[in-house]
Amino acid sequence: MEANRNCESVQPELLGWLAGDLSAADQRAVEAHLAQCPACQQELTAVRQLWDALGTVPTPEPSEQLRPRFYSMLAEFQAAEVQKHRWSVAGLLERLREWWQPAYALRLAYSVALLVVGLVVGYGLKGRPETVGPDSPPLAAASQPASNPAAVQQVHLLEQLANPSAVQRLKAVSNAEEVAPTNERVLAALLSTLNQDPNVNVRLAALEVLSSLTEEPMVRQGLIKSLTQQDSPLVQSALADLMVQLQDRRSVRPLRKLLQQENLNQQVKSKIEQSIETLSNDQAPHPSTPPTSHETHPDIRSDLAPTVAA
Amino acid sequence: MLQVKAGQVEKMALLFERYHRPLYGFFYHSNGHPATSEDLVQNVFYRMLKYRHTFTGEGEFRTWMYHLARNVLADAAKKNKPSAHHQDIADWAEKLAGGPTADAGLQQAQDVELLHQALGQLSAEQREVLVLSRFQELKYEQIAQLLDTTVGAVKVRAHRALGQLKNIYLKLENGSKQEL
Repeated sequence: MEANRNCESVQPELLGWLAGDLSAADQRAVEAHLAQCPACQQELTAVRQLWDALGTVPTPEPSEQLRPRFYSMLAEFQAAEVQKHRWSVAGLLERLREWWQPAYALRLAYSVALLVVGLVVGYGLKGRPETVGPDSPPLAAASQPASNPAAVQQVHLLEQLANPSAVQRLKAVSNAEEVAPTNERVLAALLSTLNQDPNVNVRLAALEVLSSLTEEPMVRQGLIKSLTQQDSPLVQSALADLMVQLQDRRSVRPLRKLLQQENLNQQVKSKIEQSIETLSNDQAPHPSTPPTSHETHPDIRSDLAPTVAA
Repeated sequence: MLQVKAGQVEKMALLFERYHRPLYGFFYHSNGHPATSEDLVQNVFYRMLKYRHTFTGEGEFRTWMYHLARNVLADAAKKNKPSAHHQDIADWAEKLAGGPTADAGLQQAQDVELLHQALGQLSAEQREVLVLSRFQELKYEQIAQLLDTTVGAVKVRAHRALGQLKNIYLKLENGSKQEL
């Protein structure tokens, strides 16, 4: 190619020539020029000297800390990376895939189906009493002979307890005493009213009726359990009084629990403390004081809850 | 490096074993400061991990590595740490003046030191080209890629840098002789 290159264009190539970093054509051109140019030969010698000298400038070894530092950095980085991956969407999906097995699909479908059935049934049970009109045959009557006047009265009472009017419910509570005071359903309905009625007066009335029925074990248990469910100071203190009257030591535990409640009325608090003291002192320790939470009658309560709550 | 990119971060160890010395050399010859150079090496490997997705696998790994290294060096320079090269030339002149220069071996050591000093006095651009081609043994082609310029420009820059180095070296040599 350019066999006749001048010194100016050759000199920048000398370094490359030394390092063997020229294209074949350039290399040939440089060599051709060098062969006939003493000045450039001299320059080459100078460049070579300096280049070689530069090569003798030593690079010191890095210190021994460099390697451990790198590896600890790497380990740290890996740990951080794993952490990040864990919470990324891809990471979550991956873990889900690892965990997931085909058998789970069937189980999941089964669970969902059960849940749906449960919801449908539950909705049906809840919905029915609401749709029952005053003239249509009452639900509870189905299990009882319609000719029995006591049964009819009872059903009427249960219906009244669910009446939206507080006055009607009050009336129902006071009727309960006369109608069928020991009937399980009625008792359960009264307890439910005591626990869940939105009106304090109705609850107090229910408590009054129930306090005369404390011979029934179900009533006792229901009252003890009710302690922790009340939020009205009036009902709370009335219940505490009743517990002292009943001398039932099983109530100490729910009473203590009640004490722990926040925003407990100060008077109620001292009353409860007093009650606990009385209960703990006046009676010899009861051999067994099972927690009241185990003493409910879920079958009855759950059966009637929708009716009363409505 | 592609394996590292694909998530096998532990493969980084191989790269470290292979390249930490050249990298250290790059920094040492660029700033003349051993401890700082180690920090910078560490920094480069950290960036390799952090920015591993930017490695496309098209160019050579070394080019990419020096690309990161140059950035690290530039960042460090911005932080305004005066490089050791420029720091204590007076010290060196003193040391050299005090040494028994009759000994040929020591004379050579002194030359090497002077050269090292001279390198430090080059402009960063000129020094970089020399360091990359002489100490890191990169080809003009790679340097051109790294500096985003042409092979011709790299050649010219290297040639000028070497000329400048020679001038500085001769000046230093004269200076130290005069002190004797």
